[in-house]
Amino acid sequence: MYLNSDALDSRALRYADCYGQRFMREGTFHYHVMPNGAQDVNLERPYTINVSQRKRSGKMTQHSVALQWKNHEFIPDNQKIDVEVGDLVVWNCSDRNAPPYEIAGEKEFFASARMLNECGFSHAFGVPGTYEWGDAHGSDVAGIVHVEELTCESRSDLSRWRAQLSKAALVMIADGAAKPTEVRIVVGQTVYFAIVTSKGMTITDKRLIGIGVVCPPKTSKPAAKRKKGRPAA
Amino acid sequence: MAEIIAAIDEGGASDLLSDAIAAMPPVASSGSGSLGPFTAGYSVQGHFTSGSVDLIAPSTVRIDHLHFDWHIDLSFQIDLDDFLPTFCIPQACVDIPCVGRVCTPRICLSWPTISVSVPLDDFAEASADFGINVSLAGGNWKVQIVVQNVSQLQFGLTTAAVLGLIAVAVTPILLLIPFIGPFIAIAVDAIIATIGIAGLTGFLGPIISPFISGLKIPVYDQPKHFKVLPASGPNDPDVFIELDSVSADVQHSNEDELVLSVDISP
Repeated sequence: MYLNSDALDSRALRYADCYGQRFMREGTFHYHVMPNGAQDVNLERPYTINVSQRKRSGKMTQHSVALQWKNHEFIPDNQKIDVEVGDLVVWNCSDRNAPPYEIAGEKEFFASARMLNECGFSHAFGVPGTYEWGDAHGSDVAGIVHVEELTCESRSDLSRWRAQLSKAALVMIADGAAKPTEVRIVVGQTVYFAIVTSKGMTITDKRLIGIGVVCPPKTSKPAAKRKKGRPAA
Repeated sequence: MAEIIAAIDEGGASDLLSDAIAAMPPVASSGSGSLGPFTAGYSVQGHFTSGSVDLIAPSTVRIDHLHFDWHIDLSFQIDLDDFLPTFCIPQACVDIPCVGRVCTPRICLSWPTISVSVPLDDFAEASADFGINVSLAGGNWKVQIVVQNVSQLQFGLTTAAVLGLIAVAVTPILLLIPFIGPFIAIAVDAIIATIGIAGLTGFLGPIISPFISGLKIPVYDQPKHFKVLPASGPNDPDVFIELDSVSADVQHSNEDELVLSVDISP
């Protein structure tokens, strides 16, 4: 079976993935960022998102949270953020040596491993191929991403390709269906899966469904030693 | 005058050394060395086959085209950050109906360190001059020829071909690395250029050369005290002789001969 290291799986976020969640109600929402699969083991939710009433009308605001993998823990650059109702928060850890991770909130609607409503997952495809994706939680939502190979034979090829990278393809998911079901991109481009409504789903390469989550290949770089203590909440 | 003299001409010496070399066990070693800027671990094994023998008085046995078939498993690590530019996936934005514009962050990638294993099969040839060494060790007389000078090693494959094999080994590993696709050609060319022909020659030469420069080929091995006739009755016991001295050299009469002279006593 063909299985490369470019794993498409929203249950296990990696350096080329983002998870985004809109907050549609006021309140304080606690969450944690941890290696994937740990949400039922580690019940701490040390980081906070305060959602206040919307003061301004108009478009939502996006808040990006950069995660750092340090001393065997994921640390957000901003551990407590204030947003307004309707705003979007996007998480990303760009460290390729970090293990696959998940964002786990206290509330059911707020979890990257089971995305419910008004949330999104993006993946930059780094390996050419055809990616048939589905929902690891068993719904019929599915689609295909065709990632075309690219050979840069000249500097102008490279420039053209880099320009393409800044354009993302959008897949909307609502009422149990993805639209469009097929997208075609070049290697390095990003697909953004916007989940408007669902019963709780993942975006997972069908080759990974049923076999758990694939860990990234080990690199020769030594892991940092674990320090005692936890990050401040 | 020695009691026993055995002599063989160059044809006989070729057969004798060919058999002796064929009977030698394979040689092997392992270690690490510098392959261009990389430190490569290696495990090498090989065996010899003889070439043509030229006897040169008074004491030189020259073997032309002494042939060494070898197999080496190379392994080394390449930090791709040394070869590829820092690469960032730019921020990508999409307009989502009813939501608005959503942007991913700019994601910058560091390249991983890859492990490369390269099996290589090749041969090396050299012309070597051997001296004749006679010794009495552990109650046995031993005659062996021992390398004194070796001409420059000639490898079967060109070094460029070996570099090509390394490129072939590196490419499928690179293919598994996300985002590297457009950079593969750059990476392979850079890695091969960095190793370079000089680096490869400097790596293989010191590994293969010691097998040849340390070569000893056994020619004669006989106990100093040994039985020549078994007992045939109570009044006719075993007959032993003592090899008092053994010498060997190359003598030139009508033709060059390898001569073994032995003094014996009952």
